[in-house]
Amino acid sequence: MASDAVVVFAPTSRWRRRKANLFAFLAAFAFVLALIPLVAVFGYIFVNGIHSLLSVDFLIQDPPADLSATGGGVRNALIGTLEMTGLASLIAVPIGLAVAIFAIEVGGGLARGARFLIDVLAGLPSIVVGIFVYASVVVTQGHFSGLAGSLALAIVMLPVVTVSAEEILRLTPRPIAEGARALGLARWRAVLSVFVPIGLSGIVTGILLGVSRAIGETAPLIFTSLGNNFFTLDINQPMQALPLLIYRNALNSGFATARDRAFGAALLLIIIVFGFNLVGRWLTARRRLAGSSR
Amino acid sequence: MTAPSDQPRATMSLSPATLQGLEARAAAVDESDVTATQADDVDLAITVRDLSAWYGARRVIRDVSMDIRANAITAIIGPSGSGKSTLLRCLDRMHEVVPGARSSGTVSYQGVDIYDPRIEPAAVRRTIGMVFQQPNPFPTMSIYDNVAAPARFNGLVKGKAAQDELVERCLRQAALWDEVKDKLGHGGTSLSGGQQQRLCIARTLALQPKVLLMDEPCSALDPIATLQVEELMSTLKADYTIIIVTHNMQQASRVSDVTAFFNMGEDRAGYLVESDATRTLFTNPKNQLTEDYVSGRFG
Repeated sequence: MASDAVVVFAPTSRWRRRKANLFAFLAAFAFVLALIPLVAVFGYIFVNGIHSLLSVDFLIQDPPADLSATGGGVRNALIGTLEMTGLASLIAVPIGLAVAIFAIEVGGGLARGARFLIDVLAGLPSIVVGIFVYASVVVTQGHFSGLAGSLALAIVMLPVVTVSAEEILRLTPRPIAEGARALGLARWRAVLSVFVPIGLSGIVTGILLGVSRAIGETAPLIFTSLGNNFFTLDINQPMQALPLLIYRNALNSGFATARDRAFGAALLLIIIVFGFNLVGRWLTARRRLAGSSR
Repeated sequence: MTAPSDQPRATMSLSPATLQGLEARAAAVDESDVTATQADDVDLAITVRDLSAWYGARRVIRDVSMDIRANAITAIIGPSGSGKSTLLRCLDRMHEVVPGARSSGTVSYQGVDIYDPRIEPAAVRRTIGMVFQQPNPFPTMSIYDNVAAPARFNGLVKGKAAQDELVERCLRQAALWDEVKDKLGHGGTSLSGGQQQRLCIARTLALQPKVLLMDEPCSALDPIATLQVEELMSTLKADYTIIIVTHNMQQASRVSDVTAFFNMGEDRAGYLVESDATRTLFTNPKNQLTEDYVSGRFG
């Protein structure tokens, strides 16, 4: 009996099994290799930044005028980052979604042109975006401002939001798209009420990618929001942001207090980005579950 | 006959006034048809003349002319590649949705050319509804909304009470009400395949169409679900004109009043071989090809 079974299912050769093991090992090795920089960067920042972050003052006090002085926190930068990124999202998300929907549903030369420009925008170094906003807004208004910073961040976000939303909407299953057409629905109605809800989790992920990208940008802010050492909510004032604060303090890392401040702010930034992604995933996963079990 | 190099038909939006005019014309034709019915006992819903269709440079149906009876089930049978689905999609202007697709010839619904440039394709599709091969309920909508939303979006129903009434009526018409009445808030895709297909039929009925086009509606369903959909079609025939494309000759002979047999020509374009009362076509066809096909000798 046993020999019959061996005839039907020929035994795997030793060479073949070794080959399989070798590839499994190589894949695992590559995985660990890819993980090293991630763990190293996060670990280094965590170890150096956590003690700053553990003091409540770090979150509720503004930094001292003299970066080498001890004490103070990053309140102005935290609020500035949230305010400017929020305003940038309010500008970039509607425009990005509109361009994506236009490209998918209307098409034609104008849509291709718009898409081409968005691709060019995606490839633009962010410092160039900063210089553009400096020349067009800061010089015209005569002063640096949080508003100028928000505009620069919006330009950085726009291609990320547009490209991901377009890719997601393009994935709408054809039977569903045809079903909507065959029911005589207006195209905008089909997009808003059928295609967007289907792709919602992907679209939200794209928006979060855009937010994460903008929230960590330094270059577009250097010539636009400039940064400052005091607390303000006024978008017409120069405004501090976490990346700017990290940059300025890291430049003075000869002083232990400035160095600690930079590491603390870096860890805070990582936590914010991580938190955004967790919340986004939670929101969309919850929605998907509700959709399938309803 | 129009050469394949012709430009595709232009599509224009239709003002409400023109649409009303169109409906008035359609109503007028309707009335004159009543007398015609008394004269020759046949009420025509759709008239197809010299219809050809292309995907890009490839012609997929050639010179089809046929009349489709109102309040009857017309089955379209034929081997793969004979243009059955394309013909069906030309009848509610879904053919032109595919990039590079176009057609020539005329399709009239109650004497009105549905390809008239003044007519909006969406208006045609509301009157001539379509059910697809794969059940395609909207996955993010509840059972209730799958039926109510398209009607609401098209301005056909307003208010909660009217929607409730519409949803119940259409689900009853589609023989699905008893199975789903306690879970109207559940997702449309939580249903079985056969239930999803009946949900799609209910969704189409909610637009109060006059014609139902069904493109192999049972090919993704099991035998029991198939039987349910077939019984449903026989019930719906009293109020709707139904055209069904099917691969299944038993299905055609079971449910249809008229059968049209299509074949693929030597130019690889589909054409109408013959069309007759279903019993005649299956037992005493005029054409040898039809005889060979219905007796299972090819296809």
